[in-house]
Amino acid sequence: MAAVQQNNDQSYWAYVKRQFRKKKTALYSLYVVYFFVAVALLAPFLANEKPLVCKYNGHLYFPVFKELAVGFGLGEFPRELQNADWKNLSYDFVIFPPVPYLPMNQDNDNIHSKGPFDEQVIPSTRWKHWFGTDELGRDVLSGMIHGTRIAMTVGIVSMSIASVIGIFMGALAGFFGDNNFQVSRIRIWMNLLFLFFGFFYGFGVRSYAITDALGESLGKGLVQLLLSIGIFAAVMVLANLLATVLKKIPALGKQVNVPFDLVIMRIIEVLNSIPTLFLILLIISIVRKPNLYVIMLIIGATSWTGVARFIRAELLKVRNLEYIEAAQSLGFSNFQILFKHAIPNALSPVLISIAFGIAGAILTESTLSFLGLGPADTVTWGQLLSYARQIPQAWWLAIFPGFAIFINVTVFNLIGDGLTDALDPRLKQ
Amino acid sequence: MKPVEVKTASGTTDSGKKFVAAKISFPLFGYVLKRILIFIPTLFIISLLTFILISIAPGDPAETMLNRSSGDGQASNKLSTDKAYRDLRHKLGLDLPIFYFSFGNMAECDTFNRIAKKDHRETLDRLIYDYGNWPQISTYYQQVNALEMSVLTTPRDSTNADALIELRNLVNKLYINSKDVVIADLLTGLQKNAAATPSLATVSGAVQQTQAAYELVKKEETVWKRYVPVMHWSGSQNQYHRWLFGDAKWFGEESDPTKTKGFLRGDFGVSFFSKRPVKSMIWDGLWITMLISLLVIVIEYVISIPLGISLAVRKDSLYDSSVTVALFITYSLPVFWIGTMAIFFLCSPDYLDIFPPFGLGYATWDDGFFYKLGDLAYHLALPLIIATYSSFAYLSRQMRGSMLAVLRQDYIRTARAKGLAENVVIWRHALRNSLLPIITIFASFFPALIGGSIILEFLFTIPGLGQITYAAVIQKDYPMILTNTMFAAILTLVGYLVSDILYAVVDPRISYNKK
Repeated sequence: MAAVQQNNDQSYWAYVKRQFRKKKTALYSLYVVYFFVAVALLAPFLANEKPLVCKYNGHLYFPVFKELAVGFGLGEFPRELQNADWKNLSYDFVIFPPVPYLPMNQDNDNIHSKGPFDEQVIPSTRWKHWFGTDELGRDVLSGMIHGTRIAMTVGIVSMSIASVIGIFMGALAGFFGDNNFQVSRIRIWMNLLFLFFGFFYGFGVRSYAITDALGESLGKGLVQLLLSIGIFAAVMVLANLLATVLKKIPALGKQVNVPFDLVIMRIIEVLNSIPTLFLILLIISIVRKPNLYVIMLIIGATSWTGVARFIRAELLKVRNLEYIEAAQSLGFSNFQILFKHAIPNALSPVLISIAFGIAGAILTESTLSFLGLGPADTVTWGQLLSYARQIPQAWWLAIFPGFAIFINVTVFNLIGDGLTDALDPRLKQ
Repeated sequence: MKPVEVKTASGTTDSGKKFVAAKISFPLFGYVLKRILIFIPTLFIISLLTFILISIAPGDPAETMLNRSSGDGQASNKLSTDKAYRDLRHKLGLDLPIFYFSFGNMAECDTFNRIAKKDHRETLDRLIYDYGNWPQISTYYQQVNALEMSVLTTPRDSTNADALIELRNLVNKLYINSKDVVIADLLTGLQKNAAATPSLATVSGAVQQTQAAYELVKKEETVWKRYVPVMHWSGSQNQYHRWLFGDAKWFGEESDPTKTKGFLRGDFGVSFFSKRPVKSMIWDGLWITMLISLLVIVIEYVISIPLGISLAVRKDSLYDSSVTVALFITYSLPVFWIGTMAIFFLCSPDYLDIFPPFGLGYATWDDGFFYKLGDLAYHLALPLIIATYSSFAYLSRQMRGSMLAVLRQDYIRTARAKGLAENVVIWRHALRNSLLPIITIFASFFPALIGGSIILEFLFTIPGLGQITYAAVIQKDYPMILTNTMFAAILTLVGYLVSDILYAVVDPRISYNKK
């Protein structure tokens, strides 16, 4: 018994992992997620108009790899291949990717949405559009494969943003409430004052630097954004260092309550009161080009409130349970109790909401495409669905992306279920 | 660490319900009062934030209202449209500062809103960012204005017609470009065109002055000013004050019909576009959206809660997994697609003609109460199905999850051990403790009452608030957006307060006054 206890103490998370692996449906769901991630990463090799390997004019080429290299700025295509019609070159020898189409390329022989069972004008079965084509003759399967990349990033990135902010804020509000967290008066003043300076120097004076860089490329935009966040963080650190020094003065060092619940819930109320659509329209019109990353940021920044409210509601209950009192009397610090003992017991509704949120983000993106606000330069699952709306007979435009979203909702929910069970020590047997 | 203060004035009673009621209401009363007082600053912040968001959004309602063509036409024509535009902005109060004070940096200009055109403001803002010297930039802007006037007033003849068109083009570009290279290019282009024709000597002079002004902007840059935060004070002559309090007299009759009474006195303004009072527009849409939303909530809860409980009770059975899969399928298909399909296949004479494809019917209440009711039900059936089906998955999943968490507790085992029927265990003991997530979701339905389902109203052409809001956002109809946001905000606040009270009612362990 003692040995088991010690083992548990060593690593709670290792134990959770072991428990999770016991649950087969959850484990298989995780494999499905791995599969989606693999498809997302390997999309250019799975669906591409360029061959994987080919021998042309006596030279051996690896055009897909070469394309990636060119994308990174390493090397150039040989002149005779720069604007090549890859499909119709006379190769000595060639291997095409499994799907020999790019999502944005139009197959002029198969326009007006040819279905998988319709007669397609193709040289051989090798060139068949297995999932059909859309109105412009673009291959749906290729769109699905490249869309996986976008769906996975949108779903996972936006919900990661939402859950990190949401769990943190909700935990502060629910666990500490209004009366359980004291700091010196000067620290509150300093933080409020420097919050203004942080925004001013981090974002205010750098507004154009950030938007310019974002317009140029995502990488540069992120660098500028991180720089701004860094400046902001530095200002806040400075505020707290100053407060630590200044609280030695008795009048300033008086301990006062921080009403976390009050403040955080008001922030949530304010955010939820402004119609999301209004916010999205606004931000998109400010950024001008509806960019996928902007959409992810918006979804993340607006959906953390749900996560936060779930965590808060559970913690309002959990903080009054005996075992928290026990932990307090054992002398654990508040944050230790919060993150180690309280939050794991409040995760069930949060995991469900995150699981639905991942699929929900994909659906939000599709709704934005439906309203004509989606990204214009790529094909996404959502866009395929919105094309399906224009041509009701073309079931293949709806069934395949719909099925992919269904698989996503299901596996993330099953993983959430598995995690809930694994986190609960009462199910140890 | 104590639970809620127990009020024992009524003595210890064994009647459970009474006891709970007495125990809950008293400590909560103060909390509720405090929360309602906090509504005021929260609403203030929300309205202010909406104001700020509106003002930074691109596009200008005055511009859309006049539907002006940019820069074409003769000088007098252009001058009159410019004047009409300025007057309209003044009438709508758009030339006022946003709020009583504003934070900014030293380089900025605090009377920026007086510059009429939004694209000009954006260009100037960028120039201020790059050079930080508003006085010089202002001179430059005036020079560009003078240059435009000289181009427009130069009499046109056969020798200079082409050059004039080109010049006007270039000047228009000068207004909306802030990049150094582009401006330099435009200025040399202007100079070349103006110098080529002798009759354009005045224009040439204006170009030179503009060039000089621009050189001065570059030479006397004070970028450091950007890093100095300052506060601008604008007094009560601002858009926010006007919207909230209005500019009509508080006491006695107001003779001037153009004065407004302000939001606080129930005057929500007049829609920029339909010219109808916002109040009546919202009222028209409100009852439809309210009706639909309430029905949707009732249907969703009545179906999802028992469904979620039954799934939890039969966890991991075939029933659980098959229903779950079916629910996930419904969740995965977006509402707009299912809606379109339903309209296409269920409302058309070509396939099945079961439901009406749009609207709410033409029957009025005068045709007989039950006739109208039947007609309304007939028209609402399909929209309601479409609106509810996708929420079953989420709601019942949350119910299942929280019910499972409760069913694992020791007291449930105790209840079972003492021989209570399974139904009693579930409905009497477990349900109440598993309602927290459901209450959390419930609160977010309140704002949905006013936002409505935009997609649904689009698909079925229902003239509800969702459509009105969408149109208002697209057209930048400020009074509509503001009123809508304020009502949504009030409902959100009420919803969250109700949910916080419900938390404490269903779970006495929850208290907000914990020391």
